[in-house]
Amino acid sequence: QVTLIAGEAGPNRGARAASLQSFADDVAERSEGEVIIDIQWGGALFKSEAALQSISNGVADMGTIIGVYFPQEMLGYGIADLPLENPDAWVGMRATDELMRSSSAMQENLAANNLVYIGTFTTSAVNIGCQGATIESVDDIKGLKVRGVGAYGNVFKDFGANMVSVSIYDAYQALDSGLIDCSQGYSYAVSALKQQEVMSSYTLLNWGQVGALGVFMNKEIFDSLEPEVRTILSESGEAMADKLGELITVDNQMAIDTMKSTGVEVLEMAAGERSKLVEKGKPYVDEWVKRADSIGFDGAAVLEQYRGLIDKYTAERDEKGYPWQRN
Amino acid sequence: MDGTLVGLIAFSSVIGLLAVRVPIAFALVGVATVGSFVMFAFRTGTFMGERAIRATSSLVFSNSFDLIHSYDLSMIPLFIALGHIAYRADITTRIYYAAKVWLVGIPGGVAMASVVGCGGFSAITGSSIACASTMGRICSPEMLRMGYDKRLATASVAAGGTLGSLIPPSVLFIIYGIFTETSISKLFLAGVLPGILSLFGFLLVIYLWVRHDPAAAPPFDGHITRADRLQAAIKAWPAITLFVIIVGGIYGGFFTATEAAAICVSAAVFIGFAQRKLDIKGLLDSLRETCIQTSSIFLIAAAAKIFVAFIALTGVAPAIVEFVTAADLSSFYLLLAISIIYLILGMFLDPIGIMVLTLPLMIPLVETYGFDLIWFGVVIIKLLEIGLITPPVGLNVFVIANVVGKEVSSETIFAGILRFLAIDVIVLILIIAFPLISLLIPGSMS
Amino acid sequence: MLQRIEKLLLELAVFAVLLLGILITTSVLLRVFFNSGVPDSVVMVRELMVAAIILPLAATSTARAHIVVEFLTNRFPVRIQGWFVVFGTAFGALALTPLVYASWNESLHTLQSGGFYFGQLNLPKWPGHLIFMLGISFCWLRLLLLLIGDVQRIRAGLTIEGLDAPNTEPSTDTGSIN
Ligand code: NA
Ligand code: NA
Repeated sequence: QVTLIAGEAGPNRGARAASLQSFADDVAERSEGEVIIDIQWGGALFKSEAALQSISNGVADMGTIIGVYFPQEMLGYGIADLPLENPDAWVGMRATDELMRSSSAMQENLAANNLVYIGTFTTSAVNIGCQGATIESVDDIKGLKVRGVGAYGNVFKDFGANMVSVSIYDAYQALDSGLIDCSQGYSYAVSALKQQEVMSSYTLLNWGQVGALGVFMNKEIFDSLEPEVRTILSESGEAMADKLGELITVDNQMAIDTMKSTGVEVLEMAAGERSKLVEKGKPYVDEWVKRADSIGFDGAAVLEQYRGLIDKYTAERDEKGYPWQRN
Repeated sequence: MDGTLVGLIAFSSVIGLLAVRVPIAFALVGVATVGSFVMFAFRTGTFMGERAIRATSSLVFSNSFDLIHSYDLSMIPLFIALGHIAYRADITTRIYYAAKVWLVGIPGGVAMASVVGCGGFSAITGSSIACASTMGRICSPEMLRMGYDKRLATASVAAGGTLGSLIPPSVLFIIYGIFTETSISKLFLAGVLPGILSLFGFLLVIYLWVRHDPAAAPPFDGHITRADRLQAAIKAWPAITLFVIIVGGIYGGFFTATEAAAICVSAAVFIGFAQRKLDIKGLLDSLRETCIQTSSIFLIAAAAKIFVAFIALTGVAPAIVEFVTAADLSSFYLLLAISIIYLILGMFLDPIGIMVLTLPLMIPLVETYGFDLIWFGVVIIKLLEIGLITPPVGLNVFVIANVVGKEVSSETIFAGILRFLAIDVIVLILIIAFPLISLLIPGSMS
Repeated sequence: MLQRIEKLLLELAVFAVLLLGILITTSVLLRVFFNSGVPDSVVMVRELMVAAIILPLAATSTARAHIVVEFLTNRFPVRIQGWFVVFGTAFGALALTPLVYASWNESLHTLQSGGFYFGQLNLPKWPGHLIFMLGISFCWLRLLLLLIGDVQRIRAGLTIEGLDAPNTEPSTDTGSIN
């Protein structure tokens, strides 16, 4: 029997925690109890900022790494954070998963840090909620005080927003007091943090997601395992995407319903305006390609492949529906 | 390697090392490092030295570095600096004098003024220790000069100092908020009423003490006019301004709780310079004190964080949670058990150390019982405050003993503390029994 | 020599706290009055925190401001207490050794890997790591020197500073080192 320690900086509640737990259960089941994954929640072993070193040095055998904390080391995986037209949680995860498994450039990039890819998560589509303001077009962003994250935050800034640093847990209070006008976020998180109480509008951007977060394993330890065990870990890791996709899609829909029922105006950004967002995000995509080239990736080719995968899984969803909706 | 066994050995080693005067931070780091190495090296049954060294070194570094490398915790040095600057800029003394001229006529009035002064100073500083050391420097020597009972002259300030963390801003609430992912602004609001309740409790103790033993507080024989009172109250404006800036700024949407600390420091420096009470040298001196104090606080917090990571490796924590859950305690007994544990830890350890050590254990437990985390935070902070004045290790008592010098021993102060402890326990019971005391103000927000 | 470096490190920490205050105040004022801000101020504050907290550690050790539990050892004669202090310092130097080693490793690693913090300025990760390494290394060195000095004092029949006063509680009020 093997016990593998997994480090997760987040709490043991919510959709991401549930799918990580389902991964652990899945591994135990497939290996008939031979492989046990012991998850250390709440950053007991390491915070998100130290996840990469901690896993590559063997503090934990595996764990969740959030790409945005390691823009240099996780450059390749960072592709999943780019503001592409990629708002569907399940499609995004599937595309990222296939890219990570099929691209040898990605695997080499990870191996340089003694890491192996196991499975991916997502925070799901990036949207924006406001108090006392409504974002219908990109021109509405100018002059608003916004809490934003990642390249998406940079794009809001480029449209004239004033970025204010507030932790996601204090966003409620910040919206309530008027410290910020708007907060970038994800639907399920809005509802989990009761932010609908202090929001007057919520704009669905149909833009992209923050998808560069997932489970990675210490390569040395992975390589020391029996081939069957490695296969089990990969298969269970792949299955994690479907699980989280199901949970998060349901949660997001419920959150939207909650917002509507509490009087929040939920609106969708028009396609024309959305394309302006995508356009403004292009420099950040180009910057990624350039940096990828500088570390020996063919940035443009990998991006091309990734876009192709997004299209592939979008088509699969449109044709067959989500896996949990198929019989 | 049996984790539970390693964990138990580690806990006893830390206690043993503390007993022989090894600094708290070093005891925690040393034991956690050795313990982590053992856990990593013997994980698979075969000894893996090289791998264990790599993992251990990564664990000790990242846990200490990431704790310090924090934006939210920047409130701690800044609020401590605010305390020192306010003292040098004469802001603190004026709070006390304003309280004194109003209360001096009442038996024990100067001791009461000290407690009220502590309450006022608490509203602009984040640390109980800072509160006790600053007010101690001002109030205790004066009470001793006036012939107050030594126990009353010192214990009242040591107890009053504990208001520092309950009344916002508060370093302990900040750390609790970060560990439990709860809103720091809400925690601050939740501390207000329990803080005021404690303050009135302390006043009651002084009143009863002096009534029972009038010699403890010789009556004031001077004369204070109405004009004196008014003038003293007006002269306290800088403190009131700072308080208004903190509260108005955070809840008016001008800045975050983190930013409030920096704004207040800037305002205090500005007031100090404008009134010619503060100069560059005074400012630098207060910042030097701040740095020394902050570095020793954070060294313990970082050491405790490393210890927590090691404890996570041993798996002792889930074992304890499972044990408690299996015992199927009612909420009442769980809270009783938690209170006793914190009171015992509080006898020996400092508040930040206790919190980082226990919260990873307590929070999952408390969540399964469905307690409100904001209210629970107030309970924990009150318990930690009590720990600051319980023997044998009562940091506030030591701070006061240090301020008054050879005249009063810490044993004498502890003797005086007992009566204040009694009221603290009553206040604690009230806070536990009536969550509304904590939740009334933050609840009204949404 | 070490004393001078220690003083310098403390002054640098004081400077870091000043910068913290100025940086945050500026960004609030810019926001309130000009609806603007300081880019990546959060990252800068974090890096300054490392300087403010780690750089004074050597001076903190010299000031013997590390918090200890001494109600048990206080019952012993001063000479024996001296040996407890020596043990505490020796244990501290030993306990910090792996951390010092790790901080050297990690600083070298961030220097080589070119890691940076995501943001508008993409600030590099190495300065904070280097500051941490410096501060903790000098603290370790100071403990070593304290240890040697204390052993010599006890052997010469002298008492260790801070142990001669009847009030031997640790001082969190450390005005004395100025
Ligand atoms: Na306070
Ligand atoms: Na105590």
